[in-house]
Amino acid sequence: MSDNLENKNPQQEGSPLLSLEHINKFYQQGELQVEALTNVNLTVQKGEFAALVGPSGSGKTTLLNIIGGLDRPSEGSVNLNGIDMTQLSESDLSNFRLYQLGFIFQAYNLVPVLNALENVELVMVLQGVDEKERRTRAEHYLGLVGLQDVMHRRPAALSGGQQQRVAVARALAANPMLVLADEPTANLDSENAFALLDIMHKLSHEEQTTFLFSTHDPRVMERAERIIRLRDGKIEHDGKG
Amino acid sequence: MNPASETTTRTTPTWQILITTLGTMAWRNLWRNRKRTVITLSSIAVGFALAVLFIGIGDGSHNSMIRNAIQLGEGHLTVQPKDYQAAPSNHSFLHNGKQLVAAIKALDLPGKVMPRISIQTLASTANNSVGAGLLGIETESSLHHPLDPMAEKLKPTLISGAWLTSDDERGVIIGSGMARKLKAKIGSKIVLMAGKKGGDSQAYLAKVRGIFHAPMDEMNDFFIVSHLSFARQFLIGEGGDAFREPLTRIAIFLQDPDTQDAWKQKLKGLLKNDHNLVVLDWQEMMPQLIQFIALDNAGNYVFLIFILIMVVFGILNTVLMSVLERTREFGLLRALGMNRQHLLLLVLFESLFLSLLAIIAGWLLGGLTHLWFSHHGIDFSSFMEGGTSLMGTMMDPIIYTELSWDRVKQLTEIVFITTMVTGIYPAVKAAKVTPIEALRT
Repeated sequence: MSDNLENKNPQQEGSPLLSLEHINKFYQQGELQVEALTNVNLTVQKGEFAALVGPSGSGKTTLLNIIGGLDRPSEGSVNLNGIDMTQLSESDLSNFRLYQLGFIFQAYNLVPVLNALENVELVMVLQGVDEKERRTRAEHYLGLVGLQDVMHRRPAALSGGQQQRVAVARALAANPMLVLADEPTANLDSENAFALLDIMHKLSHEEQTTFLFSTHDPRVMERAERIIRLRDGKIEHDGKG
Repeated sequence: MNPASETTTRTTPTWQILITTLGTMAWRNLWRNRKRTVITLSSIAVGFALAVLFIGIGDGSHNSMIRNAIQLGEGHLTVQPKDYQAAPSNHSFLHNGKQLVAAIKALDLPGKVMPRISIQTLASTANNSVGAGLLGIETESSLHHPLDPMAEKLKPTLISGAWLTSDDERGVIIGSGMARKLKAKIGSKIVLMAGKKGGDSQAYLAKVRGIFHAPMDEMNDFFIVSHLSFARQFLIGEGGDAFREPLTRIAIFLQDPDTQDAWKQKLKGLLKNDHNLVVLDWQEMMPQLIQFIALDNAGNYVFLIFILIMVVFGILNTVLMSVLERTREFGLLRALGMNRQHLLLLVLFESLFLSLLAIIAGWLLGGLTHLWFSHHGIDFSSFMEGGTSLMGTMMDPIIYTELSWDRVKQLTEIVFITTMVTGIYPAVKAAKVTPIEALRT
């Protein structure tokens, strides 16, 4: 099983990159069962730039966590790149995240004791990428996000927008099949938010990397090519942005 | 263009790269809260330095007692009649002393081979009578034999009179306590009487040539020192042959105490055919001193345990606090693909660095403290008004701290193992972090 987790091409031609079938997620709050996601079915094709939108509490983050293997669904299956993630053990899931997924969180994305370059290299170190190649790729992606001049600075010496761009460079440098971003622009001003989205959008096209990000910011939704709207844990709308 | 799309090298994660990265992160994590780390290191270093000092004083005083016990006692190794240790008596002696001394000297052992005679006597003057231990030794060095270490030690303590010459057939040196009891002065006559096997007694007249005042009250009150020839008269009276130069024992003083066991075996081999003899080391001659040192060491170990408790809480506080503060960060690392073993290793590295730094700082501080006191010593005389005699030996009033390499190794290992074991709990706690829960914090 472990060898397949690193494989980038087991996907059948024409089949979606990501496929969610009958996903339900329940939380137990005391004696009360809270339904976070109800019968979610979703497919995402390779190279898509899609936004999960909806008000707070609609289930966006829960869905992203399940797709990212950080959480498990109560029912249903998550198939990414031909592998059913719900069947993986915890250590296999950790390995799967390492090789197949890129993450961009809302804040505190970076390891404070590593500089921008080392942060981008970190996932590749864990992947065992050769040192020379690792350095080349890290510098390449930091250049693409416009941070070539500050790559030796630690996160504390970078602005919020710069930190998010480092996270984008880190996610892409590891060459994942899918990049998941949970409200990546939530802590940024409009200028930085648009700049970050432009970079993500550009890289999505240039690198043929699939992006799935959550947001409830209308300005961000305008940039998405596909909008998946969630309300009360159900997909309310799925269409072009 | 994506450089990964052209040449994607996926080698197995090499331990060197991973260890370097985790090590770098751990080292930097240690200095995220510089003040906390410095305070922890300082407290451990001070505790460690105190442990080094106390153990150094302990070892210094024990070694001082052992050295004095050997020098004032019967040497590193003693050859004496088999039954003498259990029941010392005047008629238990080595009949062929001359031959035995010659045979042992022929071994060319580095040190001194000293013939000695011990006689239990009753010392009497016109004023009083007291029990006394007559000790016959080589009182002067010559071409044939060196000066007895006992004489070396007692000579500087003479408070009146002069030391004995080897041709002085009647002269004795007595302790200040004995002089007071017998009301004896320089030139006083003392009759030394000893019982003989069979019930008779024998007595010889001695003249006081000098009075010593040693740091041990037992010596001052009980010892009478003479040349071998005077004391030997009692053994001849017990049936010894003057030409065979009978002795009570042969005391052997080695230049290198570490060779004691090897020489003991060689002596046993040499004397294996004489079943009336035993070769004893100083530990067998003075078992009560060994027990006292063991007991005193136990006290030092209790102190060391207090130091270790301080080390444990210092490390636990620093590493555990640092782990609890970084729950979200651990969640991020787990989300990115780090597994539990990586996190365990990361936090263990932090404990390792803290431990190594603490040991280095501790040894720097403790080493300098030890260096100072090993040269200048600590004067305990004001704390020892009743004298420094103890367990049949004495402690020098100024103690110079001593640390052997074994102690250095032992202390380092104890502190290192303690700190590493202490680091396990925070490391396991960090490794148990689940990304989803950590990212919610």
